[in-house]
Amino acid sequence: MSDNTRTPLLQVDNLESFYGPIMAIRGVSLKVKEGQIVTVLGANGAGKTTLLKTISGVMDPEKGTVALQGDEIQGSAPDAVVHRGVVHVPEGREIFPILTVEENLKMGAYTRSDHDAIAADMDLVYTYFPILRERRQQEAGTLSGGQQQMLAIGRGLMAKPRIMLLDEPSLGLSPILVKEIFTIISRLNREQNVTMMLVEQNAKVALDVAHYGYVMELGRIVMSGEAEKLRQSKDIQEFYLGAQQDTQRGQRRWKQRKTWR
Amino acid sequence: MGTMDTIPPQTQVNGISINGNLDKGPYFIDGCDTIAKLFLQRCKALGERISHREKEYGIWLSYSWSDYLEHARLIGHGLVALGLKRGEAVSILSEDNKEWVYTDLAVQCVGGISSGIYTTDSASQLAYLVNDSDSRFLFVENDEQLDKFLSVREDMPGLTKVIVFDREGLHDYHDDQVIFIEELYDIGRVHHKKHPELFEHEIAKSTPEDISILVYTSGTTGPPKGAMISNRNIMYSISVGAYTLPALATDEQVCFLPLCHILERFISVLSPIASKSTVNFAESPETVFDNVREVSPHIFTAVPRVWEKIYSRISIMVGDATSLGRWAYSRALAAGTARAECLETDTPVPTMLEARYRFWDAVVLKNIRRMIGMDRLRRGTTGAAPISPDLLRWFKAIGIDLFEGYGMSETAGIISLNMFGKNKIGSVGLVVPGGQVRIGDGGEIQYKAGNVFEGYWKKPEKTQEAMSEDGWLKTGDVGHVDSSGYVHITGRLKDIIITAGGKNITPAEIENKLKFSPYISDAVIIGDKRKFLSCLIMIDQENVEKFAQDKRVPFGDFASLCATAEVQELIGDIVRDVNDEFARVEQIKAFRLIDVLLTAEDDELTATMKLKRSFVEKKHKALIEEMYA
Repeated sequence: MSDNTRTPLLQVDNLESFYGPIMAIRGVSLKVKEGQIVTVLGANGAGKTTLLKTISGVMDPEKGTVALQGDEIQGSAPDAVVHRGVVHVPEGREIFPILTVEENLKMGAYTRSDHDAIAADMDLVYTYFPILRERRQQEAGTLSGGQQQMLAIGRGLMAKPRIMLLDEPSLGLSPILVKEIFTIISRLNREQNVTMMLVEQNAKVALDVAHYGYVMELGRIVMSGEAEKLRQSKDIQEFYLGAQQDTQRGQRRWKQRKTWR
Repeated sequence: MGTMDTIPPQTQVNGISINGNLDKGPYFIDGCDTIAKLFLQRCKALGERISHREKEYGIWLSYSWSDYLEHARLIGHGLVALGLKRGEAVSILSEDNKEWVYTDLAVQCVGGISSGIYTTDSASQLAYLVNDSDSRFLFVENDEQLDKFLSVREDMPGLTKVIVFDREGLHDYHDDQVIFIEELYDIGRVHHKKHPELFEHEIAKSTPEDISILVYTSGTTGPPKGAMISNRNIMYSISVGAYTLPALATDEQVCFLPLCHILERFISVLSPIASKSTVNFAESPETVFDNVREVSPHIFTAVPRVWEKIYSRISIMVGDATSLGRWAYSRALAAGTARAECLETDTPVPTMLEARYRFWDAVVLKNIRRMIGMDRLRRGTTGAAPISPDLLRWFKAIGIDLFEGYGMSETAGIISLNMFGKNKIGSVGLVVPGGQVRIGDGGEIQYKAGNVFEGYWKKPEKTQEAMSEDGWLKTGDVGHVDSSGYVHITGRLKDIIITAGGKNITPAEIENKLKFSPYISDAVIIGDKRKFLSCLIMIDQENVEKFAQDKRVPFGDFASLCATAEVQELIGDIVRDVNDEFARVEQIKAFRLIDVLLTAEDDELTATMKLKRSFVEKKHKALIEEMYA
């Protein structure tokens, strides 16, 4: 906590969100610094998606603040949040299936009017995802899952975001595709300086690309730290990286109690 | 022995016949002088009546006294068939469940000694306890505990067989030394066919002098010692319970504290055999509040930490209520507190106040009691650690009679008790009928009664240290007896802090004041041979997180929560308030928060989630030195 002097690009404080009477996020605070990839790990139902939805304005928080470079944006309409440069790449891709790849990408830039720059950015997206250039005229619904995920990320890039919120980009993809997409995510961050908040269940790939990480459980942050520190944690290894200590029996069904140290 | 003509004069209490005078033994309950004999008699008489319940796949299933006897009989026969001899110990490593209790009684019925091991104990502790007790049989709950055994099996050469209660995850596991409880039942069934009278015969052989259970006391100094509890001890404790805080045959109770601990063992295994009450096994220590709500017990025994948790739950619930709700609660509590004050000081309750209380009781308090599953509660009891007097008053104010008692493993659980009509908040009550208390050197409480244990297993020198030359038990607790006979405890003899200035301080008094705050779950005062007192504090995660949320204090994990200025200030304020109640030398000059979330597996915590002074001092030495730097 030494370089706290600069305002983080995204700062979430004491966020609480509800689905009706159910409290899905119970006081989450976190920071994303400019140029970083920050990952939020957690099992199903931990509240990760809700967190992203609350940040991007799809849901309104009951309590707490979301600040983009110091300006509070919680409770704003989703389109206003996009205008401010927060782009949400939702879980399950959600591209427009009957539009072509190119039309989908153009939809990503609908908040912008700088036509030359848009064309340049489209080119950039095609550089990172050459397969999309090949399929530019194809209906997006006919793409494979991996290509759709690439398109969703590419569409997000078209908004020239200050921060991208990625919701489980690895979901439902083969290990090879996951590797490919995460390599691109990492390159985009390095080469284009795109700041990212990455929600994942696949802790291994997420911790490989991320600088910093948080672990969520039942709507709370239970652990946080540099990606390297999280990788070393016994609990993360057992519960997220699938490492198991050998027992005399050679198999084990029960789980260690989590301590999050 | 045990024939009708040797039975001392009996009295009927709630339908149970017990000694009219408990000054000396032998102690009989319904004509039985051992727990095994009483168990057999009860099971035969009560037959299909419900004895206990356990939840399976979310549904409470009932088991009768006949089930109880049948399972105990099969385990008993099984163990005898496998070679268990009278006077040998058997260890049980499991969370609370019906099999624990079946095994406990089975072992005692065939003349063995049953010894419980905490599931939170490490593998090396397990090996120590098995070896120290010379157990040849070890019962384990499931695959997790089996793995614990397997990792140290080489260190336990005396062990013949390990019996697993729960087969889940072990279906294709084979090991010559390990069998499953169903297999033991089968062995028992065959053996029973061959020796149909053996179980009853073994029970008939039991004598009051037989050791029936071993209760290991967590050694803060040196390794754990097994306190030998005899039938005589148990029958005496049960008799005392019947006179003071009886359980009734119609009572429902909840079992959730570790059964290895004498408190839960006495309340949920031994005492119900006499009282015929129904025991409900909580699913796990984490679900106890839900289970209590489902069962709605008539009597409930817990450690102070649980009562504190109930208090802070309600406080938080009220904090989140509408302003009308909060107003109603404060009025109800005010009426309840005023009335409780009159009752405590033995002054008549003014008619208006009583009417006001009745009104608020019907409108608010009854609902609160229902919400925590205590609407049928006749009384609660607390023990095993000191409880804040303010907390007892608060419970009285919301209409719950909560009595503090005092006891230890070495006295089969009971030394003194508060009860209806004989309750003094702040004391641990009157010494039990037939027992005597005196104050020895250094203000130490010494005790003499029929439940003073038979010594430590294989440690005569330790037994000698625990007893005075004239045969009184040295409790190690410091305190006094007031003019009306109530026992007061101020702390542990060995915990007394002597500051560098030469001032004697009993840390427990200060620690208890701190713990009354819903934000502090436990505290350890430091200061022996130091210039001033300091304190290590374990915060209550749930309540402090709530505080931070309400105050919009950002935090990430537990350590960062502890580190926030607002939380430090919150605890600082509590420490300052507590300091105001003490003289200058007894004031805390510095404190630190323990910023790791401790679990029962950690050395610093007991199985009942109390901080262990010696371990805390050792493990957090750096933090302590920081305060004196």
